[in-house]
Amino acid sequence: MPGQDKPKFVYVTFIRTTPEKLWSALTNPDFTRRYWFGMHHETDWKPGSSWRLLFADGQVADAGEIVEADPPKLLVIKWRNEFKPELKSEGYSRCAIEIEPVDGAVKLTITHVMDRDESKFIEAVSGGWPRILSNLKSLLETGDVVLKGRHLPGDHDER
Amino acid sequence: MSRPKFVYVTYIVSTAEQVWQALTDPAITERYWYGFRVAASGRAGEHMTAIDPDGKEVHRDVILVSDPPRRLAYAWRPLYDEFKHERASRVTIDIMPLKDQVRLTVTHDDFDESSVVFEKITEGWPSVLSSLKSYLETGRALSTPVWRSASEAEMHA
Repeated sequence: MPGQDKPKFVYVTFIRTTPEKLWSALTNPDFTRRYWFGMHHETDWKPGSSWRLLFADGQVADAGEIVEADPPKLLVIKWRNEFKPELKSEGYSRCAIEIEPVDGAVKLTITHVMDRDESKFIEAVSGGWPRILSNLKSLLETGDVVLKGRHLPGDHDER
Repeated sequence: MSRPKFVYVTYIVSTAEQVWQALTDPAITERYWYGFRVAASGRAGEHMTAIDPDGKEVHRDVILVSDPPRRLAYAWRPLYDEFKHERASRVTIDIMPLKDQVRLTVTHDDFDESSVVFEKITEGWPSVLSSLKSYLETGRALSTPVWRSASEAEMHA
């Protein structure tokens, strides 16, 4: 049934931390650089504010707007790729980041959706999010990341 | 509509051999898989079995592929009464060693469209694999399963 299944990436991870620490880890630019392959967000995290994700060298990777921000529970970002023309042309996606306390840990859910029938952008983030979130979990639990380096590795590095 | 398929990727600071052992040795699964003893070290054609924390056998499923420490696949048909009407689905586990870490991919597919088990495993795998990663990296598993009772929610859902 066309139209029923929009391209969507959902990822859930459980991290031994608190919602406040996780919120800080997601929004603090210096901390973000440590697990997001040198990248960081540029925004004041207020609804309606502009949002940009920058590479280590300052180039803009993605840009958009903060749609919702309810610390330490929910972030929604209107999110468009800015550095690959074929992805940028797909327009804006919606990324919801939900934080829920569970006993002794925190449940983090990323839901990244594109309102189109097909999306190369969602394919691209489907490879990126597991790396970023695996790094984030390790950094919060052990003080070190899993995947080192300054660049988001592509699949070709690993096959 | 496409048939249900669940894919989960996680990166773990470990070796392929350690991840393989952690997924197949019941003495280890018991520590991070919320008390379930999962034995899956047999060869293809032999069985993966799982015992719940109360000692009840909740899986006895055929091993489809066993290629240690890289690839493991088994059928998946929970023995809880409420799921017995569903045919077996399929779990495929790929372990890819990278530099000093491992990429673990769990693909769970071959479900019927209306599968209830699919809904349960979609909640279950992220919880189990998060706990596995914590266990291998820190020595401590996560403490609480997201489900309320084993029979209600399947062995890892």
